[in-house]
Amino acid sequence: MLSGRALWTLLLILCPLVGYSFAQAVALYGEASSAARDSPALASGLSPLDGVLVPSFGALYICTTLLFPFVAIRALGREKETGTLRLLVQLPYPTPALIAAKMAAIFIAWLLSLIPVLSALAIWQLLGGHLHGPETLNLIFGHLLYGLLVGAIALFAAAVSESAATAAIVVLAFTIGSWVLDFGLAGQPGLLEWISRLSLTQALRSFEQGLLPLGLMLGIAGVISGFAALSAVWLHPGRPLKIKLVRSALCAVALAAVLALATLIRPSIDVSEDQRNSFPPADQRALTELREPLVITVHLAPEDPRYVDLRRNVLAKLQRALPNVTIRLATTGQSMLGSTGNEAYGEIEYSYAGRSATSRSTSHREALPLLYGLAGKPVPATLEGDQYPGYPLTRDAEPALIWFYAGLPLLVVLAWWWTCRPPRISEHLIIKNGAQP
Amino acid sequence: MATSSAIAISQNAQPAAALMQISGLGKRYGEQRALAEVSFDVRSREVLGLIGPNGAGKTTLLETLAGILPADGGEIFWRGAPLSLADRRDAVFYLPDGLRPWDDQFVVRSVELFAAVYGCVETRVAETVHAVGLSPVLSKRISALSKGYGRRLMLALALLTPQPVLLMDEPFDGFDLRQTREMMGLLREVAGRGRTLVLAIHQLGDAERVCDRFVLLAEGRVRGVGTFDQLRAQTNEGSGRLEDVFLALT
Repeated sequence: MLSGRALWTLLLILCPLVGYSFAQAVALYGEASSAARDSPALASGLSPLDGVLVPSFGALYICTTLLFPFVAIRALGREKETGTLRLLVQLPYPTPALIAAKMAAIFIAWLLSLIPVLSALAIWQLLGGHLHGPETLNLIFGHLLYGLLVGAIALFAAAVSESAATAAIVVLAFTIGSWVLDFGLAGQPGLLEWISRLSLTQALRSFEQGLLPLGLMLGIAGVISGFAALSAVWLHPGRPLKIKLVRSALCAVALAAVLALATLIRPSIDVSEDQRNSFPPADQRALTELREPLVITVHLAPEDPRYVDLRRNVLAKLQRALPNVTIRLATTGQSMLGSTGNEAYGEIEYSYAGRSATSRSTSHREALPLLYGLAGKPVPATLEGDQYPGYPLTRDAEPALIWFYAGLPLLVVLAWWWTCRPPRISEHLIIKNGAQP
Repeated sequence: MATSSAIAISQNAQPAAALMQISGLGKRYGEQRALAEVSFDVRSREVLGLIGPNGAGKTTLLETLAGILPADGGEIFWRGAPLSLADRRDAVFYLPDGLRPWDDQFVVRSVELFAAVYGCVETRVAETVHAVGLSPVLSKRISALSKGYGRRLMLALALLTPQPVLLMDEPFDGFDLRQTREMMGLLREVAGRGRTLVLAIHQLGDAERVCDRFVLLAEGRVRGVGTFDQLRAQTNEGSGRLEDVFLALT
């Protein structure tokens, strides 16, 4: 992989992209910080995760989606195109071991592509910026899973395609198709909304929000393993088509089982410093005492912005905090326009322990007292020191662009040159003048 | 590589002992029949020539034997026992024609890769490199090699492998007359040390010089099997060359 151009080209493109994204993010964060200088309330809304990390990693996301497939395909595609695969499959390793080695190479290539982003984080710290370890590592982990997911799809595409060009078309159909799903179908009612959840980019959303979702992790790991297993099934040219089809079907069944299991795993860990995915600590503690099933009936269309707010501010947090929450959409299959004439539209009904209450608020500040009332529990007092302070910072990152536009690309070119040097030949392989071999 | 004892090279094997039996091998590409009921045996430590014109099915046969192409029918036996696809890579190593493996790498790297994979000691690697005359181009990229040196590299890789049977597709293609003779001598030496060679050759003169026995293939069918003398006797070509025998049988 190091001897080809694809990886180095990716790195050369990635350096300025990350640099530009980082500088823009720091500039915007600085503007927001100036406004928040005298207001603790505004300052508490300034999180480096949203303001700097996610935008800087955005460049990596673009490159992983559009360029990394070409790097990953090269791990196998070149051997298929040149016929070297006929030697590869004769080596004394089982096909799954060959695929595991290819996946390891893809992993290393992805690690190399992380260098520009890591250097951006280092510069952010040098500028005095704040990084929260768990949420930063969680974001890197999310991008790693996404990179391996794209890599595994690319490997599978290379295994089933005769040429690297065809494999590239297959992978880009997956990755760009995901964007189409995201932009075209997200927020649409019914089946379309469900289909939009199949988008690859959905894999990153939770990690960008500082959440470590265990079920999603298992699901992504399952899909990565599934594509790797399918690659192993289709790699060997000597295996009859019938056997390949039967084994592919078995892989598909196993993958479906893992995905089904993944959807049952609800727990997720909120690693964000501002605990944005959780209610305030006092409420989190109080909610652990609510053991009865909670049923929430929402009279909102899924594409309604109020539903998006409710989902983020209340429903998702309740699902994390309570063991048994059922959410029903009363408007399933109906669009927002078709439902607004209904008087009940906009109502959210909470049913707990045989009692019900209705609200139209999408904020936890109204929903939780309602819930405590249904459960007959007192509203907990806010704990001191609960407030996230925020990390405003006004710095100019423009000088760092020299690193991303010149310094780092120069290092990449030097490393490329270094890997291209002819290797040193051992003395015993060289015939000296006049000497007999 | 850990080679199973049943498949390992036996230095004491009798020259005439049958190592592999190929029985009723068939292969189709859609409507086109590439191999039809191909049956013959491969004997230990012999140099067996697969002889036939272009399109006779030689490469298809070698790739099917190596397990790189799935056969539509027939069986392959190793010392009388069926040889599975998984065991195939312990028994045979196939050297494709015209291949430049890992062509963006340096020659020495691919040699070192094979040496590491098969656990070859330094002296054996050096002997092999010197024997095939690869030393002058070790620091070159594989893509920059001439056809002849590309062939030498492939030969070197094959000689570093431990399998008892080597299948080679057109091993002399790209060599001039002197180099061809030199390589023939090397292959005879390899066979003398206990390895069995199956060579697909379309130059009948070359085949006549290097092979112990022949399998004559035409249009995917076996037209004759035997030593040169046996084939001559079969066709009443008493003093004829191999090409006369081949023409008589096809």
